[in-house]
Amino acid sequence: MTLDEIEQQLANLANCGDPTFAQAAQYIGDATQAAKAGQLAPADLAELLRDTQRQLDIVQDMNQLAYKETLNTIINGLLTIAAAY
Amino acid sequence: MKKSIIALAFLLNGCTVWDAYFMTGYDNNEYKLITEIRVDASVYKAACPNKLMSEVNATQLAYKTELFEKYEEQIPRNDNGYAASKSLNEMAKGLVSRYKADTEVPTLFCNLKFANIEHSAEVIQHVVARRPR
Repeated sequence: MTLDEIEQQLANLANCGDPTFAQAAQYIGDATQAAKAGQLAPADLAELLRDTQRQLDIVQDMNQLAYKETLNTIINGLLTIAAAY
Repeated sequence: MKKSIIALAFLLNGCTVWDAYFMTGYDNNEYKLITEIRVDASVYKAACPNKLMSEVNATQLAYKTELFEKYEEQIPRNDNGYAASKSLNEMAKGLVSRYKADTEVPTLFCNLKFANIEHSAEVIQHVVARRPR
């Protein structure tokens, strides 16, 4: 994959409509530009990119936990209704 | 009726429903810790131009994220919470490691690292606040 292809994919992701992925794409694009301008060392850019992956992992884990919380509310609601019969 | 609903719920997807039903409820200490991490990261971000202070700040924040990870580790049926706390701790430890390197830490890097930690702590805080009471 060439740098041009990566930049094109970043642009596509930035316009995908999903705010989480769009923000991640924007962040990666900005950090890469800062590295190109000499404001960040390649190792620093790599660490920031690893952070992006960690952030996506956190979002995924928290989405699952939020679904479980909703399910917990539903089950307890159903049990309360059932107890009334 | 009650038995039918319980049976139906557990037949849908055993493990997920089991985890959801018996999930750990709201915990003051957990919420306080993640809120402190978020606020600290936000305040420390502003101190990034001061290299000496920032190194101390990064170490203090990494101590709290380590504490949060160890706290999450032993909460029953909390795989997602533990995984998120591990990722958050790795982010904080990455900044501490960078300050231990020989080369100077750019202010931009310091700013972005604290911003990443602050944002992720906010994501976790949002969900922790909604644990069943």
